[in-house]
Amino acid sequence: MAAGRRKGAVTTPVRDPAPVEAPLDQPIPARPAPRPKDAPRTMKDLRLARRGKRAARARQPENVLREGLRLERVPDPSVVVLFGGTGDLAHRKVVPALYHLWRTNLLPHEFVLLAVGRRPYDDEAFRVDIRTSLDQFSRALPIDEDAWRSFAERVCYQHLDFADTSGFEALAARLDELDEARGTRGNRLFYLATQPSQFAEIVAQLGRVGLDHEKHDAGWRRIVIEKPFGHDLESAKRLNRDVGKVFRESQVYRIDHYLGKETVRNLLVFRFGNGIFEPLWNRRYVDHVQITVAESIGIESRGAFYEQTGASRDVLQNHLLQLVSLIAMEPPARFEANALRDEKVKVLRAISSVPADLAGSVVRGQYGPGWVAATQVPGYRDEKEVDPESETETFVAARLMIDDWRWSGVPFYVRTGKRLPKRATEIAIQYREVPHRLFQDQGVEPDANLLAIRIQPDEGIMLRFGAKVPGLGLDVRSVTMDFTYGSAFSVDSPDAYETLILDALQGDASLFTRADEVEEAWGIVDPIVDAWADAPAPDFPNYEAGSWGPAAADDLLAREGRRWRRI
Amino acid sequence: MLAPTSIKIGEPVLRWTARAHTIAEIETELARIWSTPDLTTQIEGASARHVAARTSVMNLIVVARRPEIAERCAAIIQALTGRHPSRTIVIQSADPDGPSWLDARIEAHCILPREDAPETCAETIHLVCGGESGRHLAAIATPLIVHDLPVTVWWPGEPPFTTRAAQDLLACADRLVVDGSTWSGDGLARLRDMARLLDTTDLAISDFALVRQSRWREAIASTFDDPDLLPYLRSIRRIAVTYGTHDEAAAPGSTNLVKPIYHVGWLASRLGLTVVEPLAPAAARPGRPAAPGAGLVATLSDGHAAVAVSIRPIRSPMPSGTTLQVELLAERRGVELRIDVTAEAETVHVRVWQSRVEVLDRSFRAARRTDVDLLAEAIEAGERDPVAIGALRSAATLAEG
Repeated sequence: MAAGRRKGAVTTPVRDPAPVEAPLDQPIPARPAPRPKDAPRTMKDLRLARRGKRAARARQPENVLREGLRLERVPDPSVVVLFGGTGDLAHRKVVPALYHLWRTNLLPHEFVLLAVGRRPYDDEAFRVDIRTSLDQFSRALPIDEDAWRSFAERVCYQHLDFADTSGFEALAARLDELDEARGTRGNRLFYLATQPSQFAEIVAQLGRVGLDHEKHDAGWRRIVIEKPFGHDLESAKRLNRDVGKVFRESQVYRIDHYLGKETVRNLLVFRFGNGIFEPLWNRRYVDHVQITVAESIGIESRGAFYEQTGASRDVLQNHLLQLVSLIAMEPPARFEANALRDEKVKVLRAISSVPADLAGSVVRGQYGPGWVAATQVPGYRDEKEVDPESETETFVAARLMIDDWRWSGVPFYVRTGKRLPKRATEIAIQYREVPHRLFQDQGVEPDANLLAIRIQPDEGIMLRFGAKVPGLGLDVRSVTMDFTYGSAFSVDSPDAYETLILDALQGDASLFTRADEVEEAWGIVDPIVDAWADAPAPDFPNYEAGSWGPAAADDLLAREGRRWRRI
Repeated sequence: MLAPTSIKIGEPVLRWTARAHTIAEIETELARIWSTPDLTTQIEGASARHVAARTSVMNLIVVARRPEIAERCAAIIQALTGRHPSRTIVIQSADPDGPSWLDARIEAHCILPREDAPETCAETIHLVCGGESGRHLAAIATPLIVHDLPVTVWWPGEPPFTTRAAQDLLACADRLVVDGSTWSGDGLARLRDMARLLDTTDLAISDFALVRQSRWREAIASTFDDPDLLPYLRSIRRIAVTYGTHDEAAAPGSTNLVKPIYHVGWLASRLGLTVVEPLAPAAARPGRPAAPGAGLVATLSDGHAAVAVSIRPIRSPMPSGTTLQVELLAERRGVELRIDVTAEAETVHVRVWQSRVEVLDRSFRAARRTDVDLLAEAIEAGERDPVAIGALRSAATLAEG
């Protein structure tokens, strides 16, 4: 990764002020020191020495001083240019994440947050605004006043209408000034926390004024794009094309905050850092997999947005399919962005097309009024900005099949919904029954083994297995081994946004979605949405708020002799 | 269940205490703690059960020479109860010439990680051993460790690495934690003794003196992230470390040199430099006899050319032995690269000149770390850390002079 423009390139040369004789006052030895007798000799050294030739000096292209450093690497000096700086996402997530990274010394000393928005703020007014948000949304309260002061000094604001080309020229000039004044060396992370409809326009404007260019010695340029990335396959391809006209794929970081969650990241460690699970991670031992992303909240103030998306586009296309790919992927050859993403894409490609008759594979639902967490809540059609005859789904469950060597014949049941009884995200690997029921005469036969990975809340991992009940008989009962993050590591996990922003600043795209991944995921969801569009109007609402979704979702499993886990 | 009002989330609370005078009594008391069905304290005058889970991820043995060191170490470990719950055994010797006796205080500290979680509890055994028994550390600690859990020995002060007692204790340990910057004299003899443990045992070694320098290492390494500067990494010709001293004359052996030498050791090990001439007192002027205050010099080699090393004292109000500056000089194809790394309060500052033109000026924020942070980092290092091993081996070889 380029470290950025060096100081000599942008400033008046400064003479070395250090006295010549001190402290580097020891003379350089006149002759090279003799090679010590015990110096390591490679086979090639020995062979060349026998032939009287000098061994060629090995090329050493890597920074060997980096090897083994345990401290989190501090990103290069840089500016984060936050489009939509006055918006909800910026105030709730992005700015608190940056503040927390700053507070924990994980941002460079030469760091600037340049928020860009349509509101006519100046730097100071914006600082006041974000301080209010931090007091509300920071995960470390109260705010550390010293850290805030030094962070606030690095926060600036640029008033800009995204349609105004001259405004982007002013932005470019401001960034050059910041490079000069704050030593940020041309390294820029553009963060699009705006409405999705503005992504293409902003990207085009950045290209127009040359803010995408990574010239030699002029620093890196990266762009973070929030989900949703398109609203169907065609729009995703169009957006990929628009972004690709300006930025190279290696500069693009499509964010799905689920991938930054500690437990999701732990999936890779759990699967590929332990020897005992991976041999059991296949069709031979696994009966089926269940993935649940349940939300107890409704659509809150996002009625207009949700009407255009629904559960399939809002969660299935991204969070759920990302979790499926992480669970089902083959081990990557290296822990590196493209190697990881190659394996994830293979899973998405292997997911069989949903049959034209959706009923056996996909269930949709919409909540009616009900009770959630002891509160009476309205039905979806009674929410603000929602069509009273809306056919938008707030629940989707699907049975996905992955046609590859590892998973052939193993159903992956996924479900997501609004106004379910609780907020919970979980992956459950249901193992097969034992081949021979040895204890069937001894009362209760133990359940098949189950491995549950809780993403939120109570992040952790639970393994269920059978054990003998103490006593003279031979009763067998299911017991659990439970690992919870909160008990084993009482340190706070970083917020997903902190993880992902730091990764983007460091140029690590492992946890970001690649263009082909996005398109493959849309390729799975689009036929479902198309089939619904061709079907008669659904009988909505078909589940009560506070329940686990429509009865048809239970039937999806029941017809195969299975049932959803009680969460 | 809501947290009892007397308990603050994240703060350890003493929930059990007992005394014993033999190892067998200690074992009995340990068993009693966890067989007690209810570890509650009174909450608003009423007893309220709060489920406590015993958790141990390791055994931590602390060898403390004095009571105040034992208390300080125990306080640091309690602060880590939530993060690294351990069975802690604090051993302190007393009255070495008197009769053998044992006095043990057994405590259970619990911590509430969050309001809706059960408490996590861990035991601490404070042992004061009188007479001959105090010289048999392994015999005291071994029966008390939880088997199948890793054993870390934290030895503040001056570990007598060459004694039988130390060797026996370390033979049953997986990790040794020390602070080489607190050792008496220049600390180099003890550093060499410690490095020998790498060859004779499987111990992982964590030295706070080395752990504290992580931001320096990050700052130096970052210079060579720049592709234009990276080629100079293999052409370093001088390494100079300046450290603070309170000794007017800067006499050899008057100031602990462990931290300055670790900088050189780390660079040497990462760059594959071997020691040609170990550290020796420097001459005040070339060609003149060695002079106090001129520091130490050594010569390393990368197999092709020599690398000059200088470790120089300078009067400073900073704690004695503190690194004040690391300077590197590289030469490549007639171009000189000079790197100057200094620390100020909570910032490490890097400046780089290429042919005397400044090309890089960067600061790294480096918050001061407490002993709690250092111990946590030492424990979290996991298996043998190749960076620490390399730095220690190279530093010890440099100190062979």
